[in-house]
Amino acid sequence: MGINKVEPSDAELVRRVRAGDIGAYGALVSRYRGRLGRYAVHMIGDHEDAEEALQDSFVRAYRSLARCDDPARFGAWLYGILVNRCRTTGARAARRRRMFVNDAQALNGAAHADQVDRLDSTDAVDRALARLAPEYREAFLLKHVEDLEYDEISELTGAGVSALKMRVKRAREQLQKYLREAEHV
Amino acid sequence: MILAALLLVTQVAAQDPRLERLDPDTRSAVAAIADSAHGVGLPVEPIIQRALEGATKGASGARIVAAVRRLAVDLGTARSALGTSASAPELEAAVAALRAGATPQVLAHLRDVRRPPLTMALSVLADLVASGVPADSAAAAVLALAPKARDADLVEFRRAVERDIALGAPPGAATSVRLNTGAFTTDAGSPGSPGTPPARPRRP
Amino acid sequence: MFEPEDETVERVIQQLRRPVAIDAGLDARVMREIAQASSPRRRAWPRWSAGAAAAAAAATVLGAVLVARPWARNATSRADTLQFVLVAPQAASVALVGDFNDWDPARSPMQTAHGIWAKALRLAPGRYRYAFLVNGVEWRADPGAPAAKDDEFGTPSSVVTVGGRGS
Repeated sequence: MGINKVEPSDAELVRRVRAGDIGAYGALVSRYRGRLGRYAVHMIGDHEDAEEALQDSFVRAYRSLARCDDPARFGAWLYGILVNRCRTTGARAARRRRMFVNDAQALNGAAHADQVDRLDSTDAVDRALARLAPEYREAFLLKHVEDLEYDEISELTGAGVSALKMRVKRAREQLQKYLREAEHV
Repeated sequence: MILAALLLVTQVAAQDPRLERLDPDTRSAVAAIADSAHGVGLPVEPIIQRALEGATKGASGARIVAAVRRLAVDLGTARSALGTSASAPELEAAVAALRAGATPQVLAHLRDVRRPPLTMALSVLADLVASGVPADSAAAAVLALAPKARDADLVEFRRAVERDIALGAPPGAATSVRLNTGAFTTDAGSPGSPGTPPARPRRP
Repeated sequence: MFEPEDETVERVIQQLRRPVAIDAGLDARVMREIAQASSPRRRAWPRWSAGAAAAAAAATVLGAVLVARPWARNATSRADTLQFVLVAPQAASVALVGDFNDWDPARSPMQTAHGIWAKALRLAPGRYRYAFLVNGVEWRADPGAPAAKDDEFGTPSSVVTVGGRGS
């Protein structure tokens, strides 16, 4: 044993899929499910909704693979699809949960409407994340958890780099504040 | 070598981590039944789910195994009636219909008059019987509607019958009345017929 | 560079970077959807809430909105999103349990407001047995859905069917 298996690159896998090898797409799904799943779960806050968004994003990416201009950057392109899909889920969840949110809670701005369930989480980090505005949460996760560069995030989100830096800064400040509040309870 | 490979291929259920919720004896019995089913091309997932249902509900191992065994047999009967191209959802719905009292002949007839998937038609048949409609009335109604009704029409039919029963109509009568008023038109647009209600708006 | 007081945020980042468990079946679902992409589509209708009758009783509290909305279908997928509803004002917890979540009460806890418990789930075509587990001990069928007659374990269950081409 001890044979070093060289994994095919994203570009190679995309090439194979375009040539008709659907199975090669399975390798791409396998490669990215973990990272993208992590982003989706933290962004959306609900595991099932996150998996639904992730599944939809993979399917959508397959169907529009012809539009992936740079197969070597398939991962980044896929991220863009997922980021947009997570925004849709957030908006849908916000509409849905407005039916259930206690009025007083909503007025206090205790959490954004799409994240109310997360307030029940026993995890303080989860609760703090829920309280961030979606655009702050998105920027924070992409920068600090997914380790993307600002110009990459700008491409994915459509926001300018300085706006993104401000959002990340605000997110950091707010997270700190919420966690310190939680510790003092 | 080939035997080992065969053993490897057939032990699908034995490795399903979800079955760890069962005690060891029950787990191996369920896994054996599931693997046999898999070996003859029947879907394994419904069998696993039935075992998990029993586990969550605190049923005894014997009861779980009996339920799973019965399901595997019924899936086989359903497959004989519907044919080998029947999907897992169709087979599950067919089992429900058989247990509700539909005969294999009814299932085969349905297969002959309706394009797949048959899942909703079979489910509606089973659900009508669950509401109290006699099995033969339910079967007759579904077979009458099956050639042309869409899935949504079948569901609407079932709901209408259930509403009528809830309001006091005898179940068999409720079924015939709904069928005969032509409320669930199977013809594409017959607005001139007496008693035909205006076309229902499509759901989003 | 991070200042010392940002240790809190650094801790958050380290926690969020940990791997998150993603359902093992997701890959298969993606591949199945892709493989079926070229086959002719069956139309699956959006479904009304399974407990609509019970929910309607409380509609005066929350308004017609609760019952009114069949969820819009996601055009890229064949699955339907269904809203399960149970009116149980005295309950401390309600879990939705069924064939769609391995009968695991921890998987789909329901959210509540004004005594109405709800949970939306995305379901692929198929027939699913399910029930509500109230306060972790009491099994209840869905009053607004067909009963699962083959009740082999001595507790009530309901059935929901999603039409469309199954796997």
